[in-house]
Amino acid sequence: MAASMLGWALRAARQVLPSPCTRQVRSYYVDWRMLRDVKRRKLAYEYADERLRINAIRKNTLLPKELQEVADKEIAALPRDSCPVRIRNRCVLTSRPRGVKRRWRLSRIVFRHFADHAQMSGVQRAMW
Amino acid sequence: MWSRGWGGGAAGGFCRLAVRLVAGPAIGWEAAGVARLEGRTRSKIQKLFSTSSMLSTENNKSTASKDSTTEVASKSQEGTAEAPKQKLLDIIGSMTVEVSYRKKLKQLKTREIKKEATNTLEGPGSEHTMLQRTTEDVQGGKPLNPELVEAVSAVASSLPLNKKQTESELLAQLRRHEETTEKQKKGGIIDIRNVISEMAVKRQSPAQRGVRISSRVALKLDEDDQRIKPERLSPRSFDSRRSLKVGKRLNIFTKASKETENALKTVSSPTIWDLEFAKEIAAVTAQPPRNGFEEMIQWTKEGILWEYPIDNEAGMEDDAEFHEHIFLEKHLKDFPKQGPIRHFMELVICGLSKNPYLSVKQKIEHIEWFQNYFEEKKEFLQEI
Repeated sequence: MAASMLGWALRAARQVLPSPCTRQVRSYYVDWRMLRDVKRRKLAYEYADERLRINAIRKNTLLPKELQEVADKEIAALPRDSCPVRIRNRCVLTSRPRGVKRRWRLSRIVFRHFADHAQMSGVQRAMW
Repeated sequence: MWSRGWGGGAAGGFCRLAVRLVAGPAIGWEAAGVARLEGRTRSKIQKLFSTSSMLSTENNKSTASKDSTTEVASKSQEGTAEAPKQKLLDIIGSMTVEVSYRKKLKQLKTREIKKEATNTLEGPGSEHTMLQRTTEDVQGGKPLNPELVEAVSAVASSLPLNKKQTESELLAQLRRHEETTEKQKKGGIIDIRNVISEMAVKRQSPAQRGVRISSRVALKLDEDDQRIKPERLSPRSFDSRRSLKVGKRLNIFTKASKETENALKTVSSPTIWDLEFAKEIAAVTAQPPRNGFEEMIQWTKEGILWEYPIDNEAGMEDDAEFHEHIFLEKHLKDFPKQGPIRHFMELVICGLSKNPYLSVKQKIEHIEWFQNYFEEKKEFLQEI
């Protein structure tokens, strides 16, 4: 209970949207885990090119091994959140880590909820 | 365009001229013109074309009533009309009235018709030269009424603009009016066939028109501030049957001076407060969409909705040609020509040339990063 109270009190950081849209805007993330996932995605985007280049040096047989070892150390020195492996495709609305369909970025429960209320375009109950 | 058989065109043209020259103290000419007129009922044409204000009608009536008796006497003579003219000038000069020039002109025209019988070729020397100049353009070559010419000189003197120019312009206009009145008199029944045939004769041949347009374009190089070659434009303007550059300039729009534009540009460097203000205005004026179309428009502006028909290269501004993507060996100039590094870089280039998702800039950046990396590691590599 205390944890949930803390969670309620310390809301996730607000994200400032650049475009001046006048509709209702989600100003908080669902939970901290989702926020951390967002941070990881941003860092991964920033360091993507560098990681690719250093890995190209590491993963070939032409260059001397010493050079490749140096490259290993370099890539390990990069921030840990910059690797794309740490990104988890969570549900966009509920931040559920499992049971997420990639096409809609929604967990199975939310997907079912919207599909039954006919709010998913082109989605129908299967019957055959 | 203006000479295309428009019966009342001359009056319209004169009205346009008069509109340009309208000023406060431009009533002297009116007085002089009115002084010459008789007090008669308005003809049909005058009623059709009259756009006069109440004041002008009052003015006309008053002057007509005053000078009716004197006017009749001084129809053929000039000397007796001087005294009432002076009186009128004094009276009307004190008043500030906007009179319709069209009506006055029509009255002048009708008067001209009556005066043709008693026309004399008099006139002072300066105006004679003016008449000679104007007669060059006109085919008829009929001399203007000296009273009208005097009236023209009085008007020109009263106006603040270039007197000689206004005089010549007014005389030219009067010439044209006389021409039309002559035609109307002699022609009698307007034969539409003749008019149409006349229009057909006036139509230029395409070659001539192309030449004319090209010549006009060549002349107007300085005005438009464009380096247009006449060869390039003439086929284009010839293709469109009615090109924009043919015809008399209306001079409605004044060309914006470049200095003011530059001044404006230098002054406006948007501050934060200006941006905030602009955002505020945009937020306030942005009304919620009334229907689905406006909603879709809003979404397109925000970038949520794509633009239809779908452009596969939307957002991709890659202006480079295919050879810039594929032949990347020229970027390998600084690398050593032998050795494993060269081999490695050649593989890198092979991979980049097959990558359709990167722009040329990104590919060059990759190669440059490798260059920097290997230069930093040079000492380390030489130890090995």
